[in-house]
Amino acid sequence: MLSLAVLLPIAVSLVLAVVPRPAETTARFAAVATAAVSLALLLGVWAGFESGPGFAAVTEVPWIPSLGVAWRVGVDGLSLALLLMSALVFLGAIAWPMEGGSRTGGGEDNEGPNARGYYAWMLFLMGVSLGLFAALDLIVFYLFFDLSLVGMYFLIGRWGHGESQRAALKFFLYTLAGSLLILIGIIALALAMPELTFDMRALIAEPPLAGAGTLPALVLLAFVVGFGIKTPVFPLHSWLPPAHVDAPGPASAILAGVLLKMGTYGLVRIPLQMMPETFARWALAIAVVGVLSILWGAIVAFAQDNLKRRIAYTSVNHMGYAVLGIAAAGSALGSETARELALTGAIVEMVAHGFITGALFLIAGAFWQRTQDYELAHYGGLAGEAPRLTVAATLAAFASLGLPGLAGFVAELHVFLGAFAVWPWLAAVGLLGILITAALFLRLLRQVFFGARPARLAGFADLGAAEAAVLAGLLALVVLIGLWPAWLLSLVDAAGLLARPAG
Amino acid sequence: MTGEGTIWLLPLVPALAGLALWAHDLLGLRGSRLRLGLLGAGAATATLALALAAGEWSGRIAWSETIVLQAGLVPLSHPVAVTVPAVAAAVLVFAAAHEAERGLARLIGLLLVFVGGMELVVVAGDLVTLLIGWELVGACSWALIGHRWRDEAPMASASYAFVMTRAGDLGLFLALFATFAASGGTSYDALGDLQGVPLALAAFGILVAAAAKAGQLPFSPWLFRAMDGPTSVSALLHSAAMVAAGAFLLARLHPQLSQAPGFGTAALAVGLATALLGGAVAVRQLHAKKLLAGSTSAQLGLMIAAVGAGYPGIAVLHLVVHAAMKAPLFFAAGIAHGETGSFDLRRMRLGRAMPWAAALTAVAALSLAGAPAFAGGWSKEQVVKALETAGPWWALAGIAAGGLSAAYAARFALFAFGAGARTEARPERGSVAALALLSGATLLLSTLWLAPVHDAAAGLLGAPLPEGTPLGLALSLTAVALGLLAGLRLARRPGEPPAADWLGLPAVVDRVLVRPFEAAARAAARADDLALGVSFGTVARRAARIDDEILDGMPPGTADRAWSGAARTWQGAVGGVVRATCRLAAAASRRGEAASDLIPDGAGRLAGMAGADLRRLQTGLAHHYYLLLVAGFALGAAYLFLGA
Repeated sequence: MLSLAVLLPIAVSLVLAVVPRPAETTARFAAVATAAVSLALLLGVWAGFESGPGFAAVTEVPWIPSLGVAWRVGVDGLSLALLLMSALVFLGAIAWPMEGGSRTGGGEDNEGPNARGYYAWMLFLMGVSLGLFAALDLIVFYLFFDLSLVGMYFLIGRWGHGESQRAALKFFLYTLAGSLLILIGIIALALAMPELTFDMRALIAEPPLAGAGTLPALVLLAFVVGFGIKTPVFPLHSWLPPAHVDAPGPASAILAGVLLKMGTYGLVRIPLQMMPETFARWALAIAVVGVLSILWGAIVAFAQDNLKRRIAYTSVNHMGYAVLGIAAAGSALGSETARELALTGAIVEMVAHGFITGALFLIAGAFWQRTQDYELAHYGGLAGEAPRLTVAATLAAFASLGLPGLAGFVAELHVFLGAFAVWPWLAAVGLLGILITAALFLRLLRQVFFGARPARLAGFADLGAAEAAVLAGLLALVVLIGLWPAWLLSLVDAAGLLARPAG
Repeated sequence: MTGEGTIWLLPLVPALAGLALWAHDLLGLRGSRLRLGLLGAGAATATLALALAAGEWSGRIAWSETIVLQAGLVPLSHPVAVTVPAVAAAVLVFAAAHEAERGLARLIGLLLVFVGGMELVVVAGDLVTLLIGWELVGACSWALIGHRWRDEAPMASASYAFVMTRAGDLGLFLALFATFAASGGTSYDALGDLQGVPLALAAFGILVAAAAKAGQLPFSPWLFRAMDGPTSVSALLHSAAMVAAGAFLLARLHPQLSQAPGFGTAALAVGLATALLGGAVAVRQLHAKKLLAGSTSAQLGLMIAAVGAGYPGIAVLHLVVHAAMKAPLFFAAGIAHGETGSFDLRRMRLGRAMPWAAALTAVAALSLAGAPAFAGGWSKEQVVKALETAGPWWALAGIAAGGLSAAYAARFALFAFGAGARTEARPERGSVAALALLSGATLLLSTLWLAPVHDAAAGLLGAPLPEGTPLGLALSLTAVALGLLAGLRLARRPGEPPAADWLGLPAVVDRVLVRPFEAAARAAARADDLALGVSFGTVARRAARIDDEILDGMPPGTADRAWSGAARTWQGAVGGVVRATCRLAAAASRRGEAASDLIPDGAGRLAGMAGADLRRLQTGLAHHYYLLLVAGFALGAAYLFLGA
C-alpha cells in the first residue's frame, strides 16, 4: 500500500506525459484524483499503524544486492506524519487553480499554460516527495532527494514568472551542491558498517562511526550542511527567496510546505538517529545555527516589501525552530522528557509549517493571479472586497506567529519547553523570534487588508470555490492541531525515535 | 451541577456564541441592533449564570503525558469569573445601542470571544492553559481595537497594542519554561515547588507579563493607543478583561510568587509608580477616553501594589469594584461623544441636557474618586491599609495616588456632565440603560462599607482584611478631599492638552526601540540581499570595485553606499566571512561573466563552471529538458544495473 502510494503519482505523471494533448480539465481531474487516491492509501497505512519501536508497513524488494541496495519503504510516526502532511499539501496545491489556466484566463504569454506538463510534474514531484519520506534505504532516499530537485526545477523554471529560469537554476545548483555532500556522507556511513548496507534500519540499530575523531565530525558536517541548505538554515538560505518569488503559488506551497521538510527530516533520520554520539557532541553548534536562523529569518522578513519574500523569509525563521528542537533532542543534556518534548516540537513544527506556509503561499498565489503584483505597498483595504481571503490570511498569519489555539503554537511551545531545559539562554534569545514574527505578520495584514483601498483594486475577486475549499481544508487542520493535538503528539512518538537499542 | 469538564463551559459558551454571531455576519445575514444586543447580552448572561452556579468544578485535558491542560476555580478567582460576564453583559447592551451598524455583529461576536478568553485565564490551573487564554485575549484585543479597519489609525494601534503586550508575554513564556525545566511540570502547583533562580525567573517573568497586560510602566502607552478602538471595546478592555487579567494573575499566583525574594517590593514599586504617574497623566488629559485610560493604569497599579503588600484578596476586591465603575465611565464618554462628536472634554458639559446620564455618571465618578460611602472609596481604603502594613512610604504613595484619582474623577465628571449651555440631547436609551446597570452595581457594591457585608466578602475570598491606622485613614480622606477640590478647580480652567501623550513615553519607546529595530531590520535585509547573494552579478561587480579600491589603498569611505551599509552591520567574524565571500565573488567575476552568477559558498568556482555548462543547456525548450532527464535516468539506471 505504501509503495503504491509512492509509485502511483509517478506512474500517472508518466502517462500524462505520453498521452497526446489531453484537455486541461482531463489532466487536472486525473491529477487531483491521483493525489486523492494516494492520500487515501496513506490514510489506510495510518489506520493499520500501531506506534511502537521500529518501522511498520515495510516492503523490501532487492535491487542491487551486491551493494546492499534495495527498494525498502516503511513508516514510523515521524515519517507517517510527514507523509500525510505532504500528501494533503500536494492535494491542495494540485487542486488549486493553475496559474494562467483557463479559469483565470490571464494568458497573454505567447505559449499556452501547458496544463499537461504542469500536472505531470506536480504528480511526479508528489511521488518523489512521498518516496523520500517513506524510504528506508539510503540510496533510495538519495535518489528521491535529487529527483525532487528536478521536479521543482521544472515547475519553477517553466511555470514561474519574472526571472524564473535564473531562480530555478540557482535553486537547483545550490541544493545539488548540498545533495552531493549528503551522498558523500551516505557512502561514508555505509562503508563504516561492518557489512556494506544502505538499510536505514540497520544503521539506526547499530550506529557506525561512533567514536570521536575527525572523520565522524566531517561526515556530520557534510550532512548538516547538505540538509541545512535544503532546510534552509542561516547562512545557507539565499536560494530560497528568489526561488519562491518567481515560482507559481502552488509550487511555492510545495517548496515551503514539503520540500523544506526534507532537510529537517533528513537531519533527524540520518545524523540524529545514525550518529547520535557525534550529533550530541556538536548539538550546541547546530542549536546556535537554529537560533540564528530564527532571528535572522524574522528580522529580514520584517524588512521585506514584497509579499512573497516576506513569507519566504518566515520559513527560515520557522525551520529554525525545528532545527533548534532537533539539536536539543540530540544534545544528551537535560532530562529525557525535555529532549522528547523538543523533538516532538520539531516534528509538529514540520507538520504545522507545512499546512500554515502552504496556505500562506497559496494565498500569495491568489494575489499574483489577480494582480501580478507582490508589492505590499500597492495593496490596502481588501477586507471589504475579499472577506473570505481576509479571514483565511488572518488565520494563517496568526497561526504562523504562534497564536495559541492554532498549530504553530503547539510546535513552538514544545520546542522551547524542551530547548529551555537544555540551553536556557539560547532558548531565551530564540524566543525573541516570536515577538518579531508577530510584528511582521500584523504589519503584513494591515498593509494588505486594512486601511484605505487603492482605487484600482476595486472589484478584486474574493476566493473562488476551489480556492476557498483548499484553504479551508488546510486551515481546519491547523485549528484542529492547535486545539486538540493529542493524536498528532502520540503519532510522532519522539520517545521511540530517541530510544537507543544499545542504551 | 458538578462533574468533570463542566468548567470548560465557562470559556467555551461565550467564545462559541461569539463565533456563531460573527459567522452569521460573514454569511451575510444581518441582524437588527435589538436582536444582536439580545443575543450578545443573552450569551453573556448565560455565562454569568454558569459562573454563579460554578462550585468546585475542575477539568483536565491531556495533550500528552507531559502537558495537561487544567482548570479549576479557587475562592479568589470565583468573583472574577462572575464579574467578567456581568460587566460584559452591560457592555454588549451598550455596544448594540451605541456602535455603528456596520460590522456590529462582528464587534459583538468578538467581544464575546474576548470574554471567553478572559474566562479561560480566570479558570486556568496550569501555565499552558493560562498562556492560551492570555494570548487569545491579546489577539481579540487586536481585532477589537482595529474594528474600524477602514481608517488607518485603528489597525496601526491594534498592532502596536498586540506587539507591546506580547513583548511582556515573553515573560510568561519564560516563566513557563523555567517551571518546566526545574520541576518537569507546568501546573500552578509545580510553580509553587520552585526555588532559587527558576523561581525568580518565573516570578519576575509573570510580573512583567502582568504589568504589560495591566498597562503598567513601561508598557502603559499601549493603553492610550487602544483608544482608537470603539468605546464599547475600551469599556470592556479597561474594566473586566485584558487589563484585569494582569492584576488577577498576580493575585491568583500570589502564594507561589511571593516566595521569590524581592517580588513584593518589585510589585509595590511598579504598581505605585504607575499609580502616581498614571494619575498625573490623567489629571492633565483633555481627551475623555485618554483621561480614563491613564486612570486605568493608575487603578491597576493600586491593585498590583496590594498584591505586592501581601493582600491579593484586596486586589481582587478592588478589581471587581473598579470593573463596575470604570465601564460606566466609558459609557458616559461614549454618550457624550455621541452628542458632541468629539472626545474633547472642553466641548461637553452636558449636565442640563441629560440629567439622568449625569447623575448615573456621578455615582461611578465618585466611586472612582474614592469618596466615602461609595464602593471605590471602600476598596481604595483597603488598598491603603494594605500598603500601610508594607511601610509608611508605600502608604504615602498610595494616599497620593488616591488624591490624584479624586482629582481626575471629579474633573472628568464635571467636564462631561457639568452644567453647561446645552439643554437638549437624545442619548440612546440602551446606552443609558447600560450605564444605569453598572452604576447600580456600583451602588450595590457600596454596601461593602457595612461590616457584615465586607466580612462576608472577605470570608468568601478567604482573604483577611488589613488593619489600618487612624492616621492613615485621616491622611487618605484628606487627600481625597484635596483631590476633589483640585478637580473642581481644574475643571473650571481647562487649559491646553499636554503636548505629549504619557509624559513622552511613547516617543521614547519609538525612538529607542521601534525605529532602531526597523533600521536594523532594513540593514539586515540589505545585507542579506547583498552579502548572501540574491543578485550575484551585482555583488560581484561591487565587490570587484571594492577589492580594487582596497588594493589601491583607497580609503573605504569611497565604497558604494549600499555596501558600506551592509559592512557596518556585518562586523567581526560574520563580516570577515562576507568579505571573504565577496573576494571570492570578485575573483570569480574576473574569470568570466557566467561564473559570476554562482557562488554557493566555498564551492564557488566549481559550481560556477558547472553553471556555465548548464546555462548553455538552458534553451528554454521543454523537450530538451525531458530528453536530458530521460538520458540522465537511463545513464544512472544503466550504471546501477551494470554494477549489480
